[in-house]
Amino acid sequence: MSKLLNRPLKMFTWFAMLLLACSIPVYYLAIDQIWISELDEHNYIIKHRIEQKLRESEFSDSEIENVVRLWSVIEPETELVPVLANASQNDSLYEVTRITDFDDEIETDRFRGLRSYIHVNEKTYRFTTETNVEEADETLAAIAAVTVLFFILLLLGFILLNRRISKQIWKPFYLTLDKLSTFDLNKNPNSDFETSDIEEFAQLNQELEKLILRSVSTFNQQKEFIENASHELQTPLAVLRSKLELLIQGQNLTKEQLELIAGINTSLSRLSRINKNILLLAKIDNHQFSDSEQVDVTACLEECLQLLDDHFSSKRLTVERATEAECLQTCNRSLLEMLFNNLLVNAIVHGAEQGLVKIETRPDGFSVSNSGMEQLDSETIFNRFSTTASSANGSGLGLAISKQVCERYGWEIAYRFENGLHVFSVDF
Amino acid sequence: MKILIVEDEHELASDMVKYLSGEQYVCEVASDFESAIERIDLYHYDCILLDLMLPGGSGLQLLEYLRKENKQDGVIIISAKNSIEDKVVGLKIGADDYLAKPFHLSELSARIFSIIRRKKFDTANVIEQNELNVDMDARSVSVAGNPINLTKKEFDLLLLFLGNKNKVISKNALAEHLSGDLADMMDNHDFVYAHVKNLKKKLTEANYGNYLTTIYGTGYKWRA
Repeated sequence: MSKLLNRPLKMFTWFAMLLLACSIPVYYLAIDQIWISELDEHNYIIKHRIEQKLRESEFSDSEIENVVRLWSVIEPETELVPVLANASQNDSLYEVTRITDFDDEIETDRFRGLRSYIHVNEKTYRFTTETNVEEADETLAAIAAVTVLFFILLLLGFILLNRRISKQIWKPFYLTLDKLSTFDLNKNPNSDFETSDIEEFAQLNQELEKLILRSVSTFNQQKEFIENASHELQTPLAVLRSKLELLIQGQNLTKEQLELIAGINTSLSRLSRINKNILLLAKIDNHQFSDSEQVDVTACLEECLQLLDDHFSSKRLTVERATEAECLQTCNRSLLEMLFNNLLVNAIVHGAEQGLVKIETRPDGFSVSNSGMEQLDSETIFNRFSTTASSANGSGLGLAISKQVCERYGWEIAYRFENGLHVFSVDF
Repeated sequence: MKILIVEDEHELASDMVKYLSGEQYVCEVASDFESAIERIDLYHYDCILLDLMLPGGSGLQLLEYLRKENKQDGVIIISAKNSIEDKVVGLKIGADDYLAKPFHLSELSARIFSIIRRKKFDTANVIEQNELNVDMDARSVSVAGNPINLTKKEFDLLLLFLGNKNKVISKNALAEHLSGDLADMMDNHDFVYAHVKNLKKKLTEANYGNYLTTIYGTGYKWRA
């Protein structure tokens, strides 16, 4: 995954690189062309100057011969040679590469040459001059170096501009993104986005606001529905329970009938337990628990443990307590009790017979552990109805309720499996 | 003794009547706010079972009316709402007890029993049954003058039995009576057997007749 602004940057960079790479030979050809035509012009100027000076100075033939001789000594790259008048007298331009003796380094140099003919005193001289031209590879290297330098500058510019753009222009987008990433339907969702003068962003925020409003209202309706539904179920459940109780008062019930009734009773208990828990979850969801109390966590835990005493002993569980220090929390007492009860009952129901239940309290949290066989899925364990079929006697909501209570107060609840113990820890 | 059941759910009301009649109770039913007010004005009841959500008004209003008129009828709120706020408000206005739906009829019967006794015998609240003597206030029990030492849970069980004489009480009801909401969270009610067994043993050792019988697969019955 790459960032949005890095995509165009990448494309721009590739394009700039390609373009600049193509420009190197083009520059080279252009510069070389200019060089050559300038040098040809230069050579012609030299030729005309010499021709003119020779004519003006009206040298005699022998003087000219002397000049030509001297010339070939002083200026070996320029040559003046008498030729027969009837020889071909076409000018020619050429290029030659050879080693020159007058350079510090011994290397081949490129020369641009002109061969032309001068007429002085009715005699014809062949004039040749050669001027050093920059070598092709050197020109190419220089252009390439400059191009690379500019490419780097361009790239730096792109990156800096990109940063600025992302900081300024895309700012509302990132703000919106931040808001969305922390968005939680459960926690009083706030759908106010920053206003933006960029049309697309303004539209995005507008659409998001609409979407959020719709979700919130659907969510609330659903919560309400759940609460109402489980509420409505309470009365028929109560009727069922009372009918069953009347039924067992019958004098002539057979063993079979009693067994059937016991079966119905068990299922009914489970049904009302699930319904009660759904109602409870909905109530926590709907913030129907006020919290203004300072609760002594250790004492509260102690009370819960006492109430569960029978259950611990009937499963012959060993309870290990470790209390570090007193701990006070501001919360709803019954919610805290619910948290303890759910975690303790969970340890009792799922713990092995004659197993160990370890309860530790710290100033900043507590943990409840029970012996177990293997790691459970810590991802889904707190989800509603995530229990496996083998433990179908629970309501499947106990841990979901625990999590809900913790979320309510911003406490961290976590599950881990270590040293053969299922550990449920809560950090205040 | 007269009991008024203020409940709009007819099935539930008639079940309560069926369960509670038979004994020394006479039950009447009011299924809405108006008829409830009417009956309260006309008669005196030992105990009123009050549903909070009624056609024509709230049960809490009815409770306020009772207290305003200075009626001393015992009141047990029976509500499907099971919200702590309702419970607190109800008890504050003057309800004697609060029971959340769905409840066990045996539990209801035991609560009625103890409220009526409390209202009637302010000074010496003592239940006597054959050679058994239970002091409700001191929470002490004696058989033929010999005190027996019962744990809190055994005593609570005994009260439930005494409030449901000749009725079969399911083990679920017993479990819920002993550990309240917590019983709801578990299916395993084995611990009930242990407490019943101990209670039975202590009573038998003190030479109390074998009034407590086990009903196969279902629960227990206190014969009196």
